[in-house]
Amino acid sequence: MTQTATEPTTTGDGQRVLVVDNLVRRFGDLTAVDDVSFTVAAGETYGLLGPNGAGKTTTISMIAGLLEPDQGSVTLLGQQMGPKKAAPKRHLGLVPQDLAIYPDLSARENLNFFGKLQGLAGGELKSRVGEVLELTGLTDRAKGPTKDFSGGMKRRLNIGIGLLHKPTMLILDEPTVGVDPQSRNAILESVEALSDEGMAVIYTTHYMEEAERLCDRIGIIDSGTLQAEGTRDELIRLTGGVDNIQLTGSGDTAAAAEALLALDSVAQADAERGHLQLTVHDAPTAVAQIVTTATASGLQLSDVQISRPNLESVFLHLTGKALRD
Amino acid sequence: MRQLLTLLTTDLVQRLRDKSVIIFAVIVPLALMGAMNLVMGDTMDMDLETATVAVSAPEDDQLAAQLIGAIQALPEGGLEVEVTETSAADVQALAESGDAKLGLVIPDGFSAALMAGEPVEVEAVEGDGSGIESTVVLSVVQGFLDRAGASAVAAAAGAELGLPPAELGGLAQQVATGESAISMTTGEASNEQLDPKGALIAGQAGLFLMFTVSFGVLGLLAEREFGTLARLRSMPMNPHLITLSKVLSSFVLGVVATSILLTAGGLLFGVSFGSPLAIAALIVCAVIATTSLTFIVIKLAKTSEQATVIQTILAMVLGISGGAFFPMSGTGLFGTLLDLNPVGAMIRGLGITSGGGGLADIGAPVLILLGFAAVALVIARFVPDRGAMA
Ligand SMILES: Nc1ncnc2c1ncn2[C@@H]1O[C@H](COP(=O)(O)OP(=O)(O)O)[C@@H](O)[C@H]1O
Ligand SMILES: [Mg+2]
Repeated sequence: MTQTATEPTTTGDGQRVLVVDNLVRRFGDLTAVDDVSFTVAAGETYGLLGPNGAGKTTTISMIAGLLEPDQGSVTLLGQQMGPKKAAPKRHLGLVPQDLAIYPDLSARENLNFFGKLQGLAGGELKSRVGEVLELTGLTDRAKGPTKDFSGGMKRRLNIGIGLLHKPTMLILDEPTVGVDPQSRNAILESVEALSDEGMAVIYTTHYMEEAERLCDRIGIIDSGTLQAEGTRDELIRLTGGVDNIQLTGSGDTAAAAEALLALDSVAQADAERGHLQLTVHDAPTAVAQIVTTATASGLQLSDVQISRPNLESVFLHLTGKALRD
Repeated sequence: MRQLLTLLTTDLVQRLRDKSVIIFAVIVPLALMGAMNLVMGDTMDMDLETATVAVSAPEDDQLAAQLIGAIQALPEGGLEVEVTETSAADVQALAESGDAKLGLVIPDGFSAALMAGEPVEVEAVEGDGSGIESTVVLSVVQGFLDRAGASAVAAAAGAELGLPPAELGGLAQQVATGESAISMTTGEASNEQLDPKGALIAGQAGLFLMFTVSFGVLGLLAEREFGTLARLRSMPMNPHLITLSKVLSSFVLGVVATSILLTAGGLLFGVSFGSPLAIAALIVCAVIATTSLTFIVIKLAKTSEQATVIQTILAMVLGISGGAFFPMSGTGLFGTLLDLNPVGAMIRGLGITSGGGGLADIGAPVLILLGFAAVALVIARFVPDRGAMA
């Protein structure tokens, strides 16, 4: 059982760490993943955003070599991934959606065990275990069995195990589900830090705030299909890119509305009592001109509010349903 | 290899921390042995019954009289003996009816033949109910003949072998005319018979071995329930190592638990199973046989409940038919199936070692156990995978 460590190669793909190509996976009649393709570059955080049952975990399982795809391929650092492929798994850290820790073992024992399986040994293992305990804030609780841990502590350890061997590609499957807000924030911060260090990350979630905050690029997945993919802004442009600006103030709102409608950036203006509701293209760019025009037409502004569509609106736009029920 | 060792040791640590292995593999069977020993009470006692021996001897034969004297002197050694002297025909009848545990026919011209150094056959007929007492008497006869220098005892467990009395004589003749001037055969069965306490310990050890080895499979299913199976499969190693480590874990637990049970049971109830090396070989083979079954269970069981049910059924069927509670015997195909039972083979093997048999004598049970393992592994290969690793 010798392992031949193969050096990471990124040749040909530039800085692409992961290439997911036309993945298909069926369970009986159900096509859980239907022709999913994307790539992830070093230092990039790629989000898979979709509701429960969308196919995120099934996709992840094929990427991590737990599940054989029915069609398509996964290439990690130029190496073909699969259930029987040991070599590419050295570069992969998986944080499964379901907690994957031993309840009868302590945090340190869990880390030692998985660290050894990852090929760490001796002083390196010891120091990495110490570092991860520190990072997850579990140094004080390293000794007791993990079955006595709180939900947040278990989640933190679950993530820590995936980081032990400093993988090139880290995959986190809904790591914040069932976590208190404080632990959640800590988790998000550590993912940001890892990405800054150059780790490629796949982050699946059904929380659009997390995807917006963490991910450089996002794939929106539903019913096993990637509905759209891009940066946050690119995705939002898909909805037509309309933003809303609400002006509050005193004066002739009707006249102001008329003046504002004449602007290129304003698509629609509705006067209500004391408010002016505008539908605009690219609010951040247009807002200065809008404020000037409104003031010039005699409106005394007391408040300006910009609201932009979010990924929630994108999902609604693409699928006709809400991201969360 | 290192990864396999890591998987195995971590699994064993967890099995031991979760006390159920210790309880089910060691404490419960020992408690059961104690309880059954109490229930069976006197019949379990090692008190030897009176050895009833029917002897026919030529009249006025000095050495024949000495031989009978040697048998009658046995009470000094703690065994009650009741010797009836009668005709050769009656000896046969008494032994077969069970009125005598052992029949001995000392031939005419016994002294003369012995003194001339010619082969002599003493025909021994073991009755139906014959047991350890007959063996003791036979050993006295053999010892006497050995000292006498040249002789043969042809012994046939007549009733057990089911041979007509006429053929017994022929058998005795064959034995007597063998290469060695001194030869003796006793019924094979009595050689393999454990005394009741030994049978109880061996039977319970065999039965609980079936449960002990199931902890490996349960460990694999626990991995799935803990969610750690997914993580293990994402590790840079051959995924078969995961299953292999569980099977090895079963194996180690089985060997350790069975060794403890036989040693502790032997000490508690005063039973010696004989040569440690031969016992160790038997234990290892018995554990291989029972562990091989877990490969089938791994493929069939989706949950720990299912695994427990399958394993319990296997344990009860193989345990009972193997004689874990009371000796089983059968004829024809059924008898053959019983002979191939791993629990039964282990009990028989321990019978041989307790009777003084060494490594060379346990070939048959060892072959049965290893054959059983081979068949189970072949079956496991062809069972569709719908269990833990599916
Ligand atoms: N092992 C399986 N057997 C049958 N159906 C499955 C299996 N795993 C997932 N599915 C189904 O595939 C679909 C996608 O599941 P999953 O990938 O877990 O979604 P997500 O992680 O986005 O919530 C769901 O309808 C789910 O019920
Ligand atoms: Mg999921």
